[in-house]
Amino acid sequence: MLNLKTITLTLKKKSQIALEFDELIPDNIYNWEKSDFEEYQVPVGNSRFPLTDYFDIDVDGTAESPEEVKMILDGDMGRVKYIGCKMGAGEIIVNGDADLHCGAEMIGGKITVNGDAESYAGREMKGGELTIMGNTREFCGCSYIGDWRGMSGGKITIQGNAGKQLGECLSGGEIYVKGDCDILAGIHMTKGFIQIDGNVTRWPGGQMKNGNILINGRLGTLLEGFVQDGVVTDPDIDGKAFSGKYIKYTGDIALNGKGGLYLNAEKNRDLL
Amino acid sequence: MEYILKNGIVYDPANNVAGEKKDVMFKDGKIVDNVSSDAKILDVTDKIVMPAGVDPHAHVAGPKLVTGRIYRPEDSRKGVTAKKGVCRSESGFSIPSCPATGYRYSRMGYGTVTEAAVPPLEAKHTHEEIMAIPNVDVTPLPLFGNNWFVLQYVKEGQIEEIAAFISSWLKIVKGYGIKIVNPCGSEAWGWGMNVHGIDDPAPYWDVTGREMVRALSQANEMLGLPHSIHVHPNDLGHPGNFPTTVSTMDCVKDVEKNSSVRNQTIHITHAQFHSYGGTSWRDAESGAGEVADYVNKNKHVTCDVGQVTLDETTTMTADAPMEYDLSRLNGLKWANKDIELETAAGLVPFIYSGKAPVSSLQWAIGLELFLKIEDPWQVCLTTDHPNAGPFIRYPRIISWLMSNQRRQEMMDNREVHPWSHKRTSLATLDREYDFNEIAIITRAAAAKIYGYQDRGELTPGYNADIAVYDLNPNDIDPSKEPAAIEQAFGNAMYTIKDGQILVKDGEVVQIKPSQTIWTNVQGYEEQEKMIMEKVMPTFNRYYTVKFENYKVHDHYLPNPIEVKVQASK
Amino acid sequence: MAYEEPVTDYDNIVENCTCAFCGCNCDDLDYLIKDGHVVAVRHACRLGASKIMEDMDQRLMVPMIRGEDGELAETDWDTALDKAAELIAGAVRPIFYGWSETSIETMKHGIRLGELVGAVLDNQATICHGPSLQAVQNVGYPVMTLGEVKNRADMCVYTGSNPMNSHPRHLARYSTFPRGWFRPRGRFDRTVVTMDPKFSDTAKMSDIWVGFEQNGDYGFYNAIRAVLKGKELQHDYISGIPKEDIYELAEAMKNTQFGALFFGLGLTHTLSKQRNIDIAIQMVQDLNKHTKWVLMPMRGHYNVNGFNIFMAYEMGFPYGVDFSRGYPRYMNGETNTIDLLTRKECDVFMVVAADPGAHYPGGAVKHLAEIPVIQLDIHWGPSTEIADVVLPGSFIGVEAGGTSYRMDGVPIYMKKAIDKPETCRDDEWIVRELLERVEKIKAEQAIASK
Repeated sequence: MLNLKTITLTLKKKSQIALEFDELIPDNIYNWEKSDFEEYQVPVGNSRFPLTDYFDIDVDGTAESPEEVKMILDGDMGRVKYIGCKMGAGEIIVNGDADLHCGAEMIGGKITVNGDAESYAGREMKGGELTIMGNTREFCGCSYIGDWRGMSGGKITIQGNAGKQLGECLSGGEIYVKGDCDILAGIHMTKGFIQIDGNVTRWPGGQMKNGNILINGRLGTLLEGFVQDGVVTDPDIDGKAFSGKYIKYTGDIALNGKGGLYLNAEKNRDLL
Repeated sequence: MEYILKNGIVYDPANNVAGEKKDVMFKDGKIVDNVSSDAKILDVTDKIVMPAGVDPHAHVAGPKLVTGRIYRPEDSRKGVTAKKGVCRSESGFSIPSCPATGYRYSRMGYGTVTEAAVPPLEAKHTHEEIMAIPNVDVTPLPLFGNNWFVLQYVKEGQIEEIAAFISSWLKIVKGYGIKIVNPCGSEAWGWGMNVHGIDDPAPYWDVTGREMVRALSQANEMLGLPHSIHVHPNDLGHPGNFPTTVSTMDCVKDVEKNSSVRNQTIHITHAQFHSYGGTSWRDAESGAGEVADYVNKNKHVTCDVGQVTLDETTTMTADAPMEYDLSRLNGLKWANKDIELETAAGLVPFIYSGKAPVSSLQWAIGLELFLKIEDPWQVCLTTDHPNAGPFIRYPRIISWLMSNQRRQEMMDNREVHPWSHKRTSLATLDREYDFNEIAIITRAAAAKIYGYQDRGELTPGYNADIAVYDLNPNDIDPSKEPAAIEQAFGNAMYTIKDGQILVKDGEVVQIKPSQTIWTNVQGYEEQEKMIMEKVMPTFNRYYTVKFENYKVHDHYLPNPIEVKVQASK
Repeated sequence: MAYEEPVTDYDNIVENCTCAFCGCNCDDLDYLIKDGHVVAVRHACRLGASKIMEDMDQRLMVPMIRGEDGELAETDWDTALDKAAELIAGAVRPIFYGWSETSIETMKHGIRLGELVGAVLDNQATICHGPSLQAVQNVGYPVMTLGEVKNRADMCVYTGSNPMNSHPRHLARYSTFPRGWFRPRGRFDRTVVTMDPKFSDTAKMSDIWVGFEQNGDYGFYNAIRAVLKGKELQHDYISGIPKEDIYELAEAMKNTQFGALFFGLGLTHTLSKQRNIDIAIQMVQDLNKHTKWVLMPMRGHYNVNGFNIFMAYEMGFPYGVDFSRGYPRYMNGETNTIDLLTRKECDVFMVVAADPGAHYPGGAVKHLAEIPVIQLDIHWGPSTEIADVVLPGSFIGVEAGGTSYRMDGVPIYMKKAIDKPETCRDDEWIVRELLERVEKIKAEQAIASK
């Protein structure tokens, strides 16, 4: 998709109290001019302050629809929450870290974070693509607390490491972690796919009902809720082809779960 | 302050007014039959004017509600609105917060709601919530059907002891009447068990549902309580349960009514859940015909339907074993609360979907009951909120009852699964409720069933609790305009409570504190003294609070409406 | 310990008072009063008795404001309340924290104030049983009132909890020792199990001690669930417990008539946090297929549950409720006190009946020292050392009446037995005054901006 309008927000002052960017998504601002941004008051705590207090703004080109928008956030967005929250189309690039809820409830479009993302990145995602070049904290791709239905579509890619409870309550979509992953990835998941290329500390797939988790690295501790089915070679999972030998488990049996857990056979030989 | 609602089309069933153009006048919070020329005029020309709504059964205030709210933040989040005008923020879809509950009932033109299940040990909690619900008066019904003291007296056949106990306990917890839920079953749940049918004895106590219902009915009449016993029968939700329901209604047929303010001796609640035929969910079918048939032939019975609205909602009830079974069926998060010596409760989220055969069957059964029960004075509109759906759907149900076309459309378009017509007789029922009948099932009947002497009618001296709906009955064909019906009943043009205008054009414009309605039995002092002496040793040994701290202090009811009744001798 | 003679010199006894310490809310306390002071307490445990008897120890008596010199100076009520109101009205990210040791009646004014200024309302659950509530939100809540345990339970399990130290009368009055209707022999009709890495004081008087290894809670409960499902355990040891012991334990739990599981911070604050409770709840739900089981979080303050209940019925969420955008939001990690403090977002902090100075992680306290803090409390404590405005309140359950909710949700009205010191005020009055003064400031601001 050709972006016709580029909106660049360059950080000039980092707020101690986080800004909330849920209103500044391509779907809402695709027809805004520079003056609209200059008039905009961004929520900060219980107040609103001019966006221009924190950012220099540049608007280039026009857009007929959100698809044609590219937003560039330049600088450390570590105190900018809700970037791309609920967006349906368009592209957002963050040249820095992103604060909580980046890409939460996304329906479509694309977000790239050239830095780390705080917790809740991709929470309740329904579609679109979220890429984090650095690490994520807890609850990436999770549900809203209490809801057993979590992320249901879309794709999250984490180039770095993922924190605790990745893909909690996953009910669709895909999550790829290139680095390592902490405890309880895929806890309570019912559908969808998680792939971790690095090492995993403990207990992936706790209380899962269905869905698949594939680990190419080494797993620290496996849960008793998983029953070993045997070793599979070049498995086909969810229509995706993988090469190599994997130890396959089914679990979590406490829920009569039919989830699949695939561990790289070489790296996890001691489990055989 | 004097007001005159001018030129409205009035439906006041208790006074046999069915769509007459007339003025309604009120002064200082009461309906009057004349006002001075200073009266403020509210022009409601050709608009529907009815008494404010009276809901005979909902779960709106108490410990179960909080358990639901705490454990379903995803439901709370769904109903969040920003504070606006006189309204604070709202939260909750199937389980609204207390302020939201008040506002949402008020917007529909309702003025009175029953809190249908109060555990006596935690009654203060119910009263705290009532204090936080604005704009609607609340009538709490305490639970007695699994109470250890009552079980003991029923076992020994001591009806007088039961009457004295009820009389005392209504004063202690500030309750209105007797609520019975899955009699003996929730006590069996104390051991993880349940009872099946009306003649299955509870473990240890060896008392059956039949014995419990009969004994409490007799005690109720002995006291002359304004409401009859209010019963959630055994076997809720089980295919093939309609015989239990009919037996429950029948088992008090011989009990003589001792009240001039109501007609029934038993009120069966959320009858839809109790009207199933078949033997399992595979061959389940409607039992509504048999249940409606019994109601039609027996004037000692009234009921409310508990209509399924096809929403994602939260079930919550004192029928705790049923909730456990339900959670195993749908695999969703299960909450439970057993209350020492008294009762139990359970909660499970539930999704009623038009795509699902069972939900569609339940939906149809509820409608069948409405359409087959001939006398609207014997049936009330409820959803057992939130069990079959949230109360904000009452206007939608009204639109279904008034439009056969809409019902057929839903079945033809597959908005509901074919079981809705294949397993019931719904497709053959073309009856349509008119505005007068709607006024009966949403206000007049409920008021009569509860024995209210101050609301539910536009009689001079009664509360000026009035609803005006933006509909011209001469101009609209409800059969063809269900959406307009739903819109109008959901957004009252005026909601007037105790003479104050609380809602205008669907917006809450004024907040007023609610009142709590409870029954104070007179003339039973000797018996109450006697029963307290009997009760105290057991109370002191087996409860975990002191009696002095158990009762509901007066300051928990800042605005009480005390209904005094004289007990018979 | 030296023997002390019973107190015989008193004017009157106020019976059936409610203890204002832990979540047991024991309501059978008798206060012996002399000259308007409580000189002796009957039936309370050491924790409750000490709080009541030491009510004047380091008592905050007079409002204070911290001056330019960094010292707290005494002042009058109007000045102190005005200063506090000014701070609150001018805040962008205020937090009103605590509430667990005051009454529901006080909270009613507090929530209005929070709604008015767009604050975050939070309580001790955020550092204590918050994970329990989160687990409940994920998987459910099969609970009971304590009397059900007294009357029916034949197995009581304490996990991650040491009631002999934290809730001393829990076993004595509610769970284990009392003679219940169906357990007339009390202790002898029940089996007590402690699951805890430590051989705690509760473990010492239990029939069974399961000392699984630290941070092993989640794995351990997962194994029990697997066994309940009929699975053969793979490993010889799970979380340090031999698999034979796990089989035996699962069998015993299946064959009991009525089991009750009580849990505390050992679960909420070790590695898997809310997932420990999540899986313990699911284990109890699994056990209900075989027999009757219930559970209960061991709430630590007499009104911590009360705040959660109150917030839920008013606004739909139990704690960490953020009103800053004009409607309530609940998001763990974002709208909780500790996160807002360690991220240095909070700019005005009011603490009501709590001691963050004593209980918070260092990073959070550090930020508190840098921002204005308003303290409403009855005693000096570490929080007073960082407070800028100090408002001396009253002792609920002794000097003022108020509603509280026990750990199991039973509401209890706590009586007033004596008068408060003249220079102190009721908590309810203080918060209501703050509300009214902030309303006035806001009204003035609105007129000025026109």
